[in-house]
Amino acid sequence: MNQKDLDLQNQLSQPKLRTSAFTILVREYQERLYWHIRKMVLTHDDANDVLQNTFLKAWNGLDGFRGESQLSTWLYKIATNETLTFLANKRIRSINSIDDLEDIMLQNLQADTYFNGNELQLRLQKAILTLPEKQRLVFNMKYFDDLTYDQMEQILGTTAGALKASYHHAVKKIEHFFENEDN
Amino acid sequence: MKNKMNISLDEVGTELPFKVPENYFEQLALQIETQITPQHVAMTKLMKPWMYMAAMFVGVLILAQVFYTVYNNNVKKSDRYESYVLSQVDESSLMDYYVNEPSK
Repeated sequence: MNQKDLDLQNQLSQPKLRTSAFTILVREYQERLYWHIRKMVLTHDDANDVLQNTFLKAWNGLDGFRGESQLSTWLYKIATNETLTFLANKRIRSINSIDDLEDIMLQNLQADTYFNGNELQLRLQKAILTLPEKQRLVFNMKYFDDLTYDQMEQILGTTAGALKASYHHAVKKIEHFFENEDN
Repeated sequence: MKNKMNISLDEVGTELPFKVPENYFEQLALQIETQITPQHVAMTKLMKPWMYMAAMFVGVLILAQVFYTVYNNNVKKSDRYESYVLSQVDESSLMDYYVNEPSK
């Protein structure tokens, strides 16, 4: 853990300094966590909801953070859990819809004011949406954020070897999607 | 006829195709700050339960006063009625009434 995080953790453990330290933590991690979530839920509004829930969960769970893992790993774990819970709830809500969740997400993405991708980027998002959720996480974390497999192992709780295999499968599936998708 | 477009991940690149509203992160930080800061509880909010209690107490007092007044008026009215009836009866009739009172 770096010195900055150690200082922050120390302040977070002191009731009098907790609120101000948490404010610093929010400013420090909000962008990284936002993009981690946004890549999974795709639209800004959903990412905003999940990110706020993430920080509130972290705030309420501060007493449970003993510093066994890095602050960033702990926050990424909460954000990942919140994202997967959000998507699971969304899937339940869409159960009566004609379209499946991935189609709905794609439609919402195209309608989102805060999506500014070109045609190729849109096709990549379509391809990513064909992957199972856990594999989407792995692909996004490796492809866009270039996290190491060790970092991913700590966040996702899956062995580095399994993550590596999952990423390579994901890449193959996406390339296959590109080759076979009707233009 | 279907056109297939062969592209590779390298051509797409790793840039994210998303943006955020202006000042989003600044506002989010402030919003979270507000949500975790213990709020100053307004005096009126603290006083509310006591104000409800006081209002109930006053209500009970008013109701008690109303019942008391109505009851008193009824008693006075019946007293007045009895005096009026007695004033309309002469003394000999009254004597007759008591002397010839039918046995129960």
